[in-house]
Amino acid sequence: MVRELISKNFGEDVINSSTPVVVDFWAPWCGPCKMLGPVIEEVSEELAGKAEFFKLNVDDNGDIAQQYKVSSIPTVIVFKGGEVVDKMVGFRPKADIIKLVSKHI
Amino acid sequence: MERFDIAIIGTGPAGLEAAINGKIRNKNIILFGNSDFSNKLIKAPKINNYLGFNDISGIELKEKFQQHIEAMDIKINNERINAVYAMGDYFALMVNEKTYEAKTVILAIGMEAAKPLKGEEEFLGRGVGYCATCDAPLYKGKVVTIIGYNKEAEEEANFVSELASKVYYIKMDKGDSSLNENIKVINDKPVEISGESEVKSVVMKNGTIETDGVFILKDSIAPNHLVPGLELEDGHIKVNRAMETNIEGLYAAGDCIGKPYQYIKAAGEGQVASLKAVEYLSKTK
Repeated sequence: MVRELISKNFGEDVINSSTPVVVDFWAPWCGPCKMLGPVIEEVSEELAGKAEFFKLNVDDNGDIAQQYKVSSIPTVIVFKGGEVVDKMVGFRPKADIIKLVSKHI
Repeated sequence: MERFDIAIIGTGPAGLEAAINGKIRNKNIILFGNSDFSNKLIKAPKINNYLGFNDISGIELKEKFQQHIEAMDIKINNERINAVYAMGDYFALMVNEKTYEAKTVILAIGMEAAKPLKGEEEFLGRGVGYCATCDAPLYKGKVVTIIGYNKEAEEEANFVSELASKVYYIKMDKGDSSLNENIKVINDKPVEISGESEVKSVVMKNGTIETDGVFILKDSIAPNHLVPGLELEDGHIKVNRAMETNIEGLYAAGDCIGKPYQYIKAAGEGQVASLKAVEYLSKTK
């Protein structure tokens, strides 16, 4: 399951999480983001229990996008222990995302 | 939405051969390209190495190809595919706002000589982008440079200029432009995109622009940007003997997979790709 993330909860949901956290930075006007959404959803089901999955709307949460220097969307960032451990820019097929996240599980 | 069995991108010999074989196998195909088929083909003065057609011009060979696909009732869809997304059990093919769906895809997109700019790949996603309309809101109040190769690039620049604090437009094509007045047009040749952790400037032959972001908007899209996640090798699409790429259900044929760049080699590969796609379809049904 991919949950909606907002700036206010970023610390609690991402920084203090004990499992790896995957955040999909997206916006409603971005075509490739719309395509990536269902793919991330599938990945989250496949890796359920091993990593937490969130999506963050950059329009509503620009502060977080800026803090993590997201200059192109979709961008997927993997956090572990509150630190950025991996970053992927642009759409990717499911297998690539699973590989990316699995490295940190 | 109708989901095609095979979507073929490209109307050179590889794409056309793939199309006729898909049709012979009774698959529901869609072929994207243009009515001239291939610029390289119609420009060839004399061809002596296509078996069965000695001493033929490119235009004559093109006419033979045309007769062949017409006889098989294969139509060419004149739309330009901007992106192909591997969704898992199907592919989404994007034409601006429009989407097509196909179970398999054959890339027969030829080979463009144009190399990426120095720094382009390095700063991708860190200031460099290929879709200005996608990322423009992230540059609200910032300086954006657009390296534009066509008319559509100008439209995108106009859109960006409504959000960015400053837009530079490096014009790479000839002819009139229809850019907004607040855009600064630059007639110079870009050489390098430079920065540290993020883009800082575009270095040109005769000057440098300080910028927060750079969008490169070209006619032809590099294969790995057309299909995100596609694996390349030495600038060509990596395939095995079955013309399979690293993405399941996605095949490639012709110049885009490597040298030698020859018509009949392309056609042969198009055929293999098509037959493998047919095989894959029967397995996944």
